[in-house]
Amino acid sequence: MNLDWLDAFLISGLFSVVIIIGLGLLLHLQLGLARIANFGVVGFFGIGMYAFGVMFVKVDWPFSEVWAFFISLAFGTLVAGLSGLLVGWLIADLDEDGVLVGTLGFATAVLILATTEQDLTGGALGLGGLKFPYDIGSVKANEFLWLIIVTTVVALILLYVGRVHRSPYGRLLIAVGANEPLARSLGKPAFRTKLWLFAVGSAGMGLLGALFGVMVRFLDISNLGIDVTLAAMVALVLGGTARVWGAVIGGFLTIGLFEIVVQSYIPFPQGWYGQAIPVVRQMVFGATLIVVLLFRPLGILGDMRRDKLMRSMHGG
Amino acid sequence: MVAEAKEQQPPAARPQIKVEKAVKSFSGRVVVDIDELVLGDQPIEGLIGPNGAGKTTLMRMIMHSTPLDQGTVTLYPSGINGEGIVLSALPTHRMARHGVVKSNQVIMDFDKLTILDSLLLAVAQHKYEQPQRIFDEKRVYDESAARIHEYLEFFAFGDPTQFAGSAGEKKLLDIVRCLLLEPRFLLLDEPTAGLPEELTEKVMQLIRDLAATGTAVVIVEHDLSVIWNLSNEVHFMAEGNVVMRGSPQEIRKNKTVIEKYLGEGHV
Ligand SMILES: Nc1ncnc2c1ncn2[C@@H]1O[C@H](COP(=O)(O)OP(=O)(O)O)[C@@H](O)[C@H]1O
Ligand SMILES: [Mg+2]
Repeated sequence: MNLDWLDAFLISGLFSVVIIIGLGLLLHLQLGLARIANFGVVGFFGIGMYAFGVMFVKVDWPFSEVWAFFISLAFGTLVAGLSGLLVGWLIADLDEDGVLVGTLGFATAVLILATTEQDLTGGALGLGGLKFPYDIGSVKANEFLWLIIVTTVVALILLYVGRVHRSPYGRLLIAVGANEPLARSLGKPAFRTKLWLFAVGSAGMGLLGALFGVMVRFLDISNLGIDVTLAAMVALVLGGTARVWGAVIGGFLTIGLFEIVVQSYIPFPQGWYGQAIPVVRQMVFGATLIVVLLFRPLGILGDMRRDKLMRSMHGG
Repeated sequence: MVAEAKEQQPPAARPQIKVEKAVKSFSGRVVVDIDELVLGDQPIEGLIGPNGAGKTTLMRMIMHSTPLDQGTVTLYPSGINGEGIVLSALPTHRMARHGVVKSNQVIMDFDKLTILDSLLLAVAQHKYEQPQRIFDEKRVYDESAARIHEYLEFFAFGDPTQFAGSAGEKKLLDIVRCLLLEPRFLLLDEPTAGLPEELTEKVMQLIRDLAATGTAVVIVEHDLSVIWNLSNEVHFMAEGNVVMRGSPQEIRKNKTVIEKYLGEGHV
């Protein structure tokens, strides 16, 4: 396959966009529907990444690498899901401030663990040895295929989120978010609903973390910073917190614009790339978040339109 | 065959609720203090009393949507001589499963959800509301559309795919949600407050029909004509306790009630 037309920068840029969209979509279920502001996205992402990586690299697998890969992937997803269950249990009855502190604290704990448990994670030195579960030739070809695979996974997440909006489950999430006491009085177990929402969402975030780890092939604690959470949140809020396509549109407009257009086509001095650009990015994202929340709090797409949806499903 | 067998069964006894040694205070002030109270002797029971007597708080204690300081609330699904379920040991969301349902005095609604959403939420069974069940909307709708539309037409709701607009519409929606849960013990906290007369009539008609099929109803209402009209029995509550009970006629005649609460004009 001739991939000369494809810039390695473009692959990694698109890959970031796709990952952030995936995280934004999962965050949408929590923040947009159930109105739980999860500030620990990167914690679940990181736990999935490291659980997968450590399992794959450190265990002496008796069978083929492909099997080891998929077992480790399932393990990472599961561990992230379980941590979501635990965090969900801790925060489900807390108010907004409690949720903020709890989820943020969890993400910090993950970062600290990854840094201090050097024997397992490599600590600040990082953990190498991850690889794709296939080899189709050049590095570029392998990365391109991985981009396509992960894009498919995120497309499936998008499909799932769209179905949730059109299902009794989505209605339950919206109800619990809008008026929890009323939902309870109608027989809805609000606590358990939030718990499972967190478990499923976190498992998905963990899976994305593991898939991300495969692409970078070297786990580094710099991937566990708050900027991942911030990116997913800015993308979602800019696009539309309550809308299915919010994270997708927001993802392209934030990470997409920044990683691909700005970094590739604007001639920054070479020296900026290592230090200055990530800081600039963080500042731009923070400012974007503030501006959106001030002037268009529901994002570009605006509010949820249940009236339209109901008419299309049950009208006429 | 099955239907015949069902018809021959005697109608199930009405459920009853017993409140024992129940105390509730807010910031040190005792608001409800009931030694013993049995609800559901009669099909429809009125609960009246001055503002702040604790009627709403008592109903919320029964639903366990406010925790009790002490005491117990027990549901007897087939009458006081049968087996009991301690409601005050259960979380609020379990009440509906036991048929205990309450409407709200203050308007409660889900913003973002349409009228139809709200009603489908009420009827949807738990098994359809799981993260992995993403293809069940049609099933939930088909199972309950007939019942839902019956109510929508009865109350002449507008387009159900729209949001409830007026306060009255939200109040009715609250009642219809309750009815869709197929209550066996229904607590109504000022259900007709703010409703126009013809809708009040319709709500009363539904309550009567429901009581006739074996559901126990307890109703709090400031519009006393509704109470005198509907109730088979009236509890008079003052300062956190039921101080008197009797037939509507007895309560209406009673001097204390008249002085404390009704004023001559109401009788
Ligand atoms: N959540 C609450 N916090 C503090 N005080 C309350 C609360 N709910 C009710 N009260 C007080 O309890 C008393 C009884 O209120 P309520 O049960 O609403 O009376 P009623 O329904 O009979 O008018 C009132 O004095 C009210 O102010
Ligand atoms: Mg009241």
